[in-house]
Amino acid sequence: MILVIAEQHGGKMVRATWETVAAAQQIAAGAPIVVAVPGAGVGEAAREIAVAAVHEVVTVDHQALGSYTPDGYSAALEQAITELAPSLVLLPHTYQTRDFAPTLAARMNKPLVTDVTAFKRRDQILTFVRPMFQGKLVADVVADGPDPIATLQVGAFRADLVAKGTAPAPVRPLTVSLDETSIRERPEAPFRQARQAVDLSQAERIVAVGRGIKGQEHLPVAQNLAAALGAELAASRPICDAGWLPMERQVGSSGQTVAPKLYLALGISGAIQHLVGMKGSSTIAAINKDPDAPIFEVADYGIVGDLFEVVPALIEALKELRRT
Amino acid sequence: MAFLGAFLVQVAARVRLISAAAGSLSVDRPAVRLRRFLFDVLLQRQTIRERPWVGVAHAFVFWGFLAFSGYTIVEFLRGLGLVDLTEHPLFLAYRVALLPWAIAVLVGITLLLIRRVLFRPAALGEAISTESVAIALFIATLMVTYVLGFLVDEGGTMGDANWWVHMIVILAFMALIPASKHFHLVLSPITVFLKSPELGRVGNLDFEKEQVGLETVKDLEKKIVLDALTCVECGRCQVNCPAWGAGKELNPKTLILQTQDALVAGRREAKLGEIYSEKVLWQCTTCGACENQCPVGIEHLPLIIGTRRGLVSNGDAPPYLGGMYNNLERRSNIWGLGYEQRQKFIEAAGLEMFDPARHEWLVWLGCAGAFEADYQKSLRALFDILRTKNISFGVLEKERCNGDPAKRTGNEYLFQELASGNIETLRNAGATRILTSCPHCLKTLGEDYRRFGYVAEVVHSSVLVAGLCGDDRREGPVRESVAFHDPCYLGRYAGHVEEPRQLLTRLGADLREPVRNRDNPFCCGAGGGLLFADKEEEPGTRISDVRFKQLQETGAAMVVTACPFCSIMLKGAQATAQADTQFVDLMTFVKERLQ
Repeated sequence: MILVIAEQHGGKMVRATWETVAAAQQIAAGAPIVVAVPGAGVGEAAREIAVAAVHEVVTVDHQALGSYTPDGYSAALEQAITELAPSLVLLPHTYQTRDFAPTLAARMNKPLVTDVTAFKRRDQILTFVRPMFQGKLVADVVADGPDPIATLQVGAFRADLVAKGTAPAPVRPLTVSLDETSIRERPEAPFRQARQAVDLSQAERIVAVGRGIKGQEHLPVAQNLAAALGAELAASRPICDAGWLPMERQVGSSGQTVAPKLYLALGISGAIQHLVGMKGSSTIAAINKDPDAPIFEVADYGIVGDLFEVVPALIEALKELRRT
Repeated sequence: MAFLGAFLVQVAARVRLISAAAGSLSVDRPAVRLRRFLFDVLLQRQTIRERPWVGVAHAFVFWGFLAFSGYTIVEFLRGLGLVDLTEHPLFLAYRVALLPWAIAVLVGITLLLIRRVLFRPAALGEAISTESVAIALFIATLMVTYVLGFLVDEGGTMGDANWWVHMIVILAFMALIPASKHFHLVLSPITVFLKSPELGRVGNLDFEKEQVGLETVKDLEKKIVLDALTCVECGRCQVNCPAWGAGKELNPKTLILQTQDALVAGRREAKLGEIYSEKVLWQCTTCGACENQCPVGIEHLPLIIGTRRGLVSNGDAPPYLGGMYNNLERRSNIWGLGYEQRQKFIEAAGLEMFDPARHEWLVWLGCAGAFEADYQKSLRALFDILRTKNISFGVLEKERCNGDPAKRTGNEYLFQELASGNIETLRNAGATRILTSCPHCLKTLGEDYRRFGYVAEVVHSSVLVAGLCGDDRREGPVRESVAFHDPCYLGRYAGHVEEPRQLLTRLGADLREPVRNRDNPFCCGAGGGLLFADKEEEPGTRISDVRFKQLQETGAAMVVTACPFCSIMLKGAQATAQADTQFVDLMTFVKERLQ
C-alpha cells in the first residue's frame, strides 16, 4: 500500500499534494493508495482530495495539529504510518516536509529519499531518481531498508494528470494521541511576505508588450487581446521604464521570472535580459515586424508582421471561436 | 627638536599601522613600476594629464621641493651647528640657481591657493580646508623668505629673523603633515611604486588558509593601509566614477577616507560593512576609473572587491546576485540557459572543434557568444573576416563562464571553481593563442588566469582584425558619422584604444568622440555584476542612461561598441530613451565594409 501524506494550508490542499497523488497513481501498479490528511478540522480538505482515484482518505485530525510544528507532525504521522503500515510513504518536497521528514524517518528508522524527480523499476526494485550537486548529476537511488519514505520535487509530476475516481473515495478518521506538552515549538501567527500586487509567476497565460507597441495610447490593443485570452498583461523593460505600465508587470532579469503555459510576445525584440525571464514558458508565440528579431529564436510560433494588423485579427478569431 | 619629534612620532604611528597590516607588499615587474615612478612621480604625468593647469602648478611646487631639499639640509646642518657648508662656492651657486625655482613655486602655489579658495571644484569638497590654506601659506612664506634672504643683510637682525621664520615654518610644516593629506609628499612616491603593474589586480583568496575576504579593519592588507594614508583628497576618483556621475552614493574618495579614519582611530575590530555603507559597495561597476586616474597610486578595486568578498562569505550579497550565482553554479553561465543553445550556434555557424595541429587560434565564445543572439551576429562577422583572411580557428567543445561576474562581485570561491575548470579544458585542448571578442574574457583569461599558472596569448578581436585588415580601405564621398564607445575592459584595462579607431576610420567612418573616451571612458554600467541589478530604488539615474546620452550628444548616427555587455546595456538605454540611434558591433561594421 502506498501512503500519500497530504499538505493543506487553511483547509485547502496545496498543489504539490495533487502532484504527489499523481505520482503515487503512476507507480501504484495495482497497489492501493491511501491519502492521510494531517491537521485540525481537515474534513473539507479530505473531501477535496477524495475525488482522486484512491483507495481511501484518512484524516489525522487533532487540535494540536492546527498550527504546523515539527514535533506535533512527526509524532502524529509516526502513529498514522505505524497503524497503516504502508510499503511506501510519499510526501511533496515542500518547505514544511523538509522540516519534519528527516525527524520522522529517523524516529521510525526508515530510509528517506528526498527531492525525487522520477521513479524507475530496475529488476523489480523501485529506484528513485534525484538530482545531486545542485542538479549537475542525476542519481538513481535504491532505499537501503524496507518501506521507505520519499519526498517528491515540487513540479516534477503533473497535478493535472491525477486520475479521478468514479465516486469520491471514502473518508475515515484515524485517531492519534498527542501529548501537547511534548510539543516544544510555539508557532507564531503565520505571515506572508508582502506580495506584489500582480503575481505574474502564477499566470497561466501572458500577453507581453515591447517597444513595438510604439506609444502608451496603443496599449488597449494588447489589453483587448489579454482580455480575450484571459491573460495577464506584462511588458519588457522599456515599457515599464517609460511608465506606460507599472514596474510590477516587467518580465526579465530585472523584473519577474514567469513560466506560463502561453507567452504571447507583441513587438518584443527579445533581448537576452528579457528572454531569461520567460524562457520557461511552455509555449512561446511572437509577433514582430523584424524577421531577425532574437525572439524568434525561442518562439514556438512566430508571426512576422505588424502587430496592429495581426492582433485585431487574432481578437476577432478568438471571438469567433467563442461563438461556435 | 620638538617639531622633529612630533613629525617622527606621527610617522612612526603610521608605519606601525602599515607593518601591522595583513599580507605583504609586492614588487613584481620592477621595470613597469620604475617606468611608472618616472612618469607619474618625477614627471607628474598623472597629475597633469587630467587637470593641465593645476597639474603644472603642482609640478612646479613638487619640482621646487626637490630642488630645495639640498638647500634645506645644508641650512639645517648649519643651524644645528654640525657642519657649515654655506660658504662653499658650489652652495652659493646652488642658491642662486634656486631663485627661479622659488619664483616658480610661488606662482604655482598662489594659483593653487586661488583655485582652492575662490574656484573650488566639487571634487575638493564643500568646505575650504583650512589645513590646505595653512600649508599653502607656509609654502608661500618659505619662498618669500628665501627670496628675501638675498635682499636683507645677512647676519643682521632682519637677516636672522628671516632665517628663523624660514626654518620654523619648515619645522611646523613637518609637524603638521603626517596627520594631513600632505603626508602624500612622503608616501606617494612609495605608493606609486607599489601600485600593481596592471589595473584592477585583485589577488586570489587561498581557501586552504581559510581566507574569506575583508571583513574587519584588521583584515585590510598593507597596500590598502598605505593607500588610505596616502590619499591627497584631490577627487579625481570621484569625478571619474560613473556611479557618482549618475548621481549615486558611491564616492571612491569617501571610501578611502573612511578607511583612513578607521585606521587612525584604531578601530581594528570594526566591520567594514559598517564603516562604509554596504549599499555603495554594490554600486561599483569595477570600471577602474578611480584607480586609473589616481595620481598617488591608490588601488580602489582590491578594497571594494575585497570587502565584497567578506560580505559574500557572510551571505550578504544583494538578492539579484543570488540568481546569477545560482545560474553559474548550476549551468556554468550567467543566464542559466542550457548549453544546447551553444551547440546549435556552433553547428549553424559551421565551426570546427579546436585542434592545435590545424588551427592557429582558439576562439573563445563566452557566455554571450553561446546565448545572446545579437552577439552571435557579431561573432559570425568575426568568423567571416577570419575566413576571408585565411586564418584558421576552432572552438572548444565546452566552455564555462570565465568567472568575471563572480570575481568582480566577490564570489571568489565560485570564480576559482569556474577558472580551474576552464583552465583544465584549455590545457587539454592545447590552446596557446586565444581570440575573444569580449573584453571581460580578455581580462579574466589573460590576466586573472595567470595567477593559476595558466599563461596563454589572449587577444581581443579588434586587435587581431586591425592587423589583418591593415591594407583594407573604404573610400567614399560621404563618410559615416560614428561614435565609438570604448569598453572599460578594452580601453582602460587593456589600453587598446587605437585599434578600433584605426579599423573604423580606414573603413569610412568619421569619428565623433564622446566625452570620456579612449583610456578613460564612462562605463556602460554593466560591470561588477550590475548587469543583473534591479532598477535601483536609489538616488540617481542608470549609468547606462547617462552614457547613452553622452553618445547621443556626439550627433553621430551610429554608435559602435566592442563588448557584449556594453551592447546590452546601451541598447537597453536606447530603448528606454525611445531613440533611433543605430548600434553596430565593431566586427559587424568591419565585415559589412570590407570589399
